[in-house]
Amino acid sequence: MHLTRRDFLELAIVTGAFMTANPVATLAKMTYDDIMSFKSVGNVTLLFTTDMHAHLDPLYFAEPMNLVAPKKLMGTPGYITGMEFLKFYKIAPGTLEAYFTSCVDFPKLAHKFGKMGGAAHITTIIKHVIAERGRDKVLVMDGGDTWTTTAIGTFTEGKSVVEWMNYTGYDLFVAHWDFTFGKETFLKRIEELEKGGCEFITHNVVDEMWGDLVFKPYTIKEVGGVKLGIIGSSFPFTPLANPRQFVEGWSFGIREDQLQQFVNELREQHKVDAVIFLTHNGFPLDQKIARVVQGIDVIISGHTHDVTPRAIKVGKTIVVIAGSHGKFVGRLDLDIKNGRIRDYRFKLYPVASNLVPADKGAQKIVDKWKKEVTKTHKLEEEIGVAEVMLYKRDTFFSTWDWLVGEAINDYYGGDLDVVTSPGYRWGTVVLPGQKITRDHVYDYTAITYPNVYVLKRTGKQLLEVWEDVADNVFNPDPFYQQGGDMSRLWNVEYEIEVNGPQYNRIRNVRIGGKPLKENKEYLMAVYGGPPPPEDAIHPDYKPVPVYDILIDYIKKKKNIKVRTKPNVKVLDAPYKTYEECFGT
Amino acid sequence: MITRRDLFKVAGVGAVALAVAPGAVKPSFGAPKKISIEDSLKEHLGVGLSALKESNLIHIKAPTIAESGANVPVQVKANIPVDQVQALYIFADANFNPWVTTVEFSPMNGEVFFATRIKLAKTSPVRAVIKMKDGSLLAAAKEVKVTVGGCG
Repeated sequence: MHLTRRDFLELAIVTGAFMTANPVATLAKMTYDDIMSFKSVGNVTLLFTTDMHAHLDPLYFAEPMNLVAPKKLMGTPGYITGMEFLKFYKIAPGTLEAYFTSCVDFPKLAHKFGKMGGAAHITTIIKHVIAERGRDKVLVMDGGDTWTTTAIGTFTEGKSVVEWMNYTGYDLFVAHWDFTFGKETFLKRIEELEKGGCEFITHNVVDEMWGDLVFKPYTIKEVGGVKLGIIGSSFPFTPLANPRQFVEGWSFGIREDQLQQFVNELREQHKVDAVIFLTHNGFPLDQKIARVVQGIDVIISGHTHDVTPRAIKVGKTIVVIAGSHGKFVGRLDLDIKNGRIRDYRFKLYPVASNLVPADKGAQKIVDKWKKEVTKTHKLEEEIGVAEVMLYKRDTFFSTWDWLVGEAINDYYGGDLDVVTSPGYRWGTVVLPGQKITRDHVYDYTAITYPNVYVLKRTGKQLLEVWEDVADNVFNPDPFYQQGGDMSRLWNVEYEIEVNGPQYNRIRNVRIGGKPLKENKEYLMAVYGGPPPPEDAIHPDYKPVPVYDILIDYIKKKKNIKVRTKPNVKVLDAPYKTYEECFGT
Repeated sequence: MITRRDLFKVAGVGAVALAVAPGAVKPSFGAPKKISIEDSLKEHLGVGLSALKESNLIHIKAPTIAESGANVPVQVKANIPVDQVQALYIFADANFNPWVTTVEFSPMNGEVFFATRIKLAKTSPVRAVIKMKDGSLLAAAKEVKVTVGGCG
């Protein structure tokens, strides 16, 4: 634990220093050291970030209230939230660490501790550790979902982020959403990264026809005088979770048998001292990998946005994951000798933007690209005020998604029966009372396929799709989960038995207050998934980017107040409400 | 999934009676009925599900979630001396006709290995059954999910 109760008291005193003449300087000076304190161990340091989602600027981002799980996985790392999370990892409520790792009292603590993340702040931490340890002992890695899903990432086609990564000195990379620029742009960005000294490694993408590897599956690095074999894994279900067209001709998958072969190859042929697995697989999936694949020493996980304040041991394998949205830099020190890890120490540095100063060179890169995108997209323009906390992350329901439902229905003249929003785990948070900017809207929606489509679907068809998604979320075997949350269904109410039989979990569906009829046709809007076939799109309703709809709607409404009460009742698992985490 | 080398291996199975009919539906008059896995097993092996012995000598390699139900790569490998094996059967329970293929082996094959691509109508266990020369049956199954999409 990097922040003890004593640290917290110091912080509290420092917070009091806001009253003094030069509060910010006092604050920064005292607590940066606290954040950076780490007693190094051994000869190797792994530094890693993941799932930044192109948040080059600091932001607020609350951890979820709920990670509802099937019985078999309930209470295991990856499915613990809120107070239970704090208890599991022995973190005192109200501390900076509690603010970064749980939802408890988020709005209140946000006022106290300020924003999180920011590329230039991450650079400071990485440079600090490199300076302290020496470049030859440090390997800097990123777990993907890094180039897109904000205005600055998406509208620069990832160039902004790649320039920052090269400046910061990343060595290794795997991907997921980054593929959604399409093959050509993706490969161009990879080439730029490689010019900057960062290798893209991925064992689980193969040519669809012949099965040949598309990328280098692993790399071998001399670090701290020992030989490390690092295998990469990009998101196994990319062609399913995102439009297939972006990765046409490539086949993904978990490919655990192949992984075992590469682990053996590294150990037997290359005689590496340790095997590291850098992934965008998801934390629960990687815990299963640690059980079924022999010989991996460390898994640096990504995708599911989980936070591990302490390392998890699965058998002999260390499994860690560094959250999301640039909130953390992970550090794992290893003492490796003669093919054995003798000791290790782990920490997640919280990127507290007020306390960790921005690196000047990195900030210049961020500012340059931000200026560029602002020219065309007026990022700072204030379009409304949030009256409740706008957030996205939860298993079933969020204030942001309900707002999206209202906005889309309003745009299409109030004709819609259902609006489906995707269960992504990324976005941002707008605090109660905070101004909503255009940039906030892009933070939730800036993808390369932003169109909203209106379709006619029978009740039976709707239900089939929802059951299908529910199994991708609640399958008790992590190898069969896609690592996202349940689709958000506006104007729909339903009950769910998460432990119910496959494709038969959802009960008592009501659309607009009336029971769903299997044969009735409903008018529904959908976005953020694989695009529907041309002929399924309703000719009377033109597809429009979801962010344009939202910006207009928020401007029109000005004061944004949406329900905080979930539209879903969970029948067989605990399900926390807004008030329990975020207060009233 | 299937490497060039693997493909040649499959080609090497050449002499073998190889009948791949993924998802084939026999033309018939009136509404055809879905064949249950139980009936399909009985038709091809003479026994039902309960007679199959789970064996960890058989390894099925297939995606957990198919990228397309129309084209699911499946590999079956068994750590059993090939001269003891008569044939390998592949079934997909949820298909209209669960029987996918029968592959007969001879010692010339060198090992018990077969790779193919199958069609899956929907989420289903994919079963591999090995008929030994002594008449006993060994089996393994892996669920392959067919999904419409999901969440990023």
